[in-house]
Amino acid sequence: MRLVVPIKQVPETDNVKMDAETGTMVREGVEAIINPLDLYAIELALAIREDHGGEVIALSMGPAQASTALREAVAMGCDSAVLLSDRAFAGSDTWATGYALQAAVRKLGDVDLVICGERATDGETGQVGPGIAAFLDWPVATYVCRLEALADGRARVRRLVEGGWQVVDVQLPAVLTVVKEVSTPRLPTLRGKLRAKAEDLPVWGAADLDVEGDKLGLNGSPTRVVKIERPKVARECRKLVATDESTTAAAIEAVVEFLQQRELL
Amino acid sequence: MKAEKSPYNAVTPEIVQQLKEILGDKHVVYDDPEALEPYSHDEVPDLRYRHMPEALVRPDSAEQIVAIMKLANEVNIPVTPRGAGSGLAGGAVPVFGGIVLSLDRMNRILEIDRDNMVVVCEPGVVTSEINERVAEFGLFYAGYPMSLETCYIGGNVATNAGGAKAVKYGVTGRYVLGLEVVTPTGDVLQLGGKLVKDVTGYDLLHLMVGSEGTLGVFTKITLKLMPSPRKTVDLLCLFASTPEAIAVVPRVMTESGIIPTAIEFMDRVAVMASCEYLNETLPYERAGAMLLISVDGASAEQVERDYEAVGELCLSAGAIEVYVADNRTTSERMWKVRRNIPEAFAVQSDLQMNEDLVVPLAAISDLVAGMETISARYGVMMPSYGHAGDGNLHTRITPPSDWDEQQWLAVMPKFQHDLYVLTAELGGRLSGEHGIGHKRKEHMKTFLSPETIAAMRSIKKAFDPNNILNPGKIFEG
Repeated sequence: MRLVVPIKQVPETDNVKMDAETGTMVREGVEAIINPLDLYAIELALAIREDHGGEVIALSMGPAQASTALREAVAMGCDSAVLLSDRAFAGSDTWATGYALQAAVRKLGDVDLVICGERATDGETGQVGPGIAAFLDWPVATYVCRLEALADGRARVRRLVEGGWQVVDVQLPAVLTVVKEVSTPRLPTLRGKLRAKAEDLPVWGAADLDVEGDKLGLNGSPTRVVKIERPKVARECRKLVATDESTTAAAIEAVVEFLQQRELL
Repeated sequence: MKAEKSPYNAVTPEIVQQLKEILGDKHVVYDDPEALEPYSHDEVPDLRYRHMPEALVRPDSAEQIVAIMKLANEVNIPVTPRGAGSGLAGGAVPVFGGIVLSLDRMNRILEIDRDNMVVVCEPGVVTSEINERVAEFGLFYAGYPMSLETCYIGGNVATNAGGAKAVKYGVTGRYVLGLEVVTPTGDVLQLGGKLVKDVTGYDLLHLMVGSEGTLGVFTKITLKLMPSPRKTVDLLCLFASTPEAIAVVPRVMTESGIIPTAIEFMDRVAVMASCEYLNETLPYERAGAMLLISVDGASAEQVERDYEAVGELCLSAGAIEVYVADNRTTSERMWKVRRNIPEAFAVQSDLQMNEDLVVPLAAISDLVAGMETISARYGVMMPSYGHAGDGNLHTRITPPSDWDEQQWLAVMPKFQHDLYVLTAELGGRLSGEHGIGHKRKEHMKTFLSPETIAAMRSIKKAFDPNNILNPGKIFEG
């Protein structure tokens, strides 16, 4: 099995502060980490390698600093990593990102599975994984919460869909995007860290890939961010005061009615 | 624990009226068991250490506390000061009833003085808030008790709280530069200040630190701050057995020349319970013990060199695996395992005994080995965990789930006795950071000579001739 895991370096948002005036994140002093959902993709890939043999290659497009995320992936157990970094890629939207990443997957060659996190915590689009599949013309299974079987050139996966599960077979090579139910990511080890530090990470630019220049970066991106607005959330709070038996009963009744009206009970 | 015969008067409606005149109606609670109940205990799980207060007061200033103390002395009613109630020795429990004096309203940070690297705050400030506030100045407060998100700084000073960063940064007392104190008789003392050095007379400041609310009520606290470390990395080191893990602890410092911020130890029983409680999937089944080691410093490069050196030392000493957390998310996952140990045992049984033993560094392995023998002797779980890097081990002794209280109480004095004798023999003490409160006072004599206890008593007597402030603590009788 030759597995590729495209990952993204994102700001650590667990402890983030928002600028009240601009509505944007205060980036100063914020650590850069592997997109948390990508960790589940890495773990799934490593588990597949343990069961079926093969190799896991981490792939990321970003500035030179993104190599930190790739080294972390190697420290977790990925066999190697490739960084796509070039001014030509700057300003890519999800379309151009998917295009560049699929070119890298083609260049790597003989890939059986591309496993992505469902979405990145900074962009929240979830489009890059399916985008890679579209450019490669491979089948894609999104929202994968379990790999049920992997044999005879097919993967049987359980997808988390609204209201339940869907079990589908996909023919390899394929792209999977995973949700966090799919695995529990392992922690990077010291031995892995030392190996990752010594690892010579190849950096590929546009010239290294079989790509059309006008499909890359800002120029190749059909999306334009025109404006960022914060939606106003109107909360309608109703306070039920329960001090004795009769008011408590009335309050319970009101809650039940509220839930029934919304078909939640 | 056992009901002590009260030498005090009861709180009467007339006294409540006087308290209301001092504090305003809103901040005096009386004759309301439901509202008073939370003030009858701290975090000690054993229900036998609880005691209801008769009244609760919530002052907002040193002046109000002065008036309360003067009144209490006049009418002979005990006053028990209370922070967040997160203590583990019963220090804030009003064992003679009377008045609980809660400092929750005095929760202001009064001054952040960057040039002098100090913060001045009131006792009711939640410890973690200090760092949230001083971070923007590139400074930090080094105290790190495990309850930092709930405990109050006043309680930290009153117990001289330790915590997980004490290996490198020491305990609370090192950072207390100044205190404003209301004495048990209602005088206000200004001790210390923004001074790094001060030998002007007796060191009353540090007499107050760790006095468990028996010598005075703190109303203003001046704390020393440090430059924030720019980078912290945690290592979670899995060992096959406790002796192997413990043997590494002294070597980390003596051989690598690095002082880690923290060296936390967790034995197999502690790790299993916590990982299962958290649904954590670390390969804990393989590990007989774990060390959680933190290193911090002024640059990422230096911290990297340090953690590699410490980690490789652990590997060469037989660690099965060393995991590295160099970002907050991963770090938090590791620390959760450590912080949730007490909770993981709390859900297993209501019958619990918390210990806070401290021994010289090199005696830890003997203490842990002895604890295993004692736990096997009495058939109780004795998970050991805690601050191995400063010789301070905790255990949360828990009986098998089918034991009833009677069985538990029958063996408790026995294993406690064995444990304390062992600790004393190893040159250790009864409590490293939780304090004595009323929970451990009967065991003081195992560790301190009668002359030492008498010297402590005469200090208490000098400050509190009527024994009004937090009576029934530290000393028996």
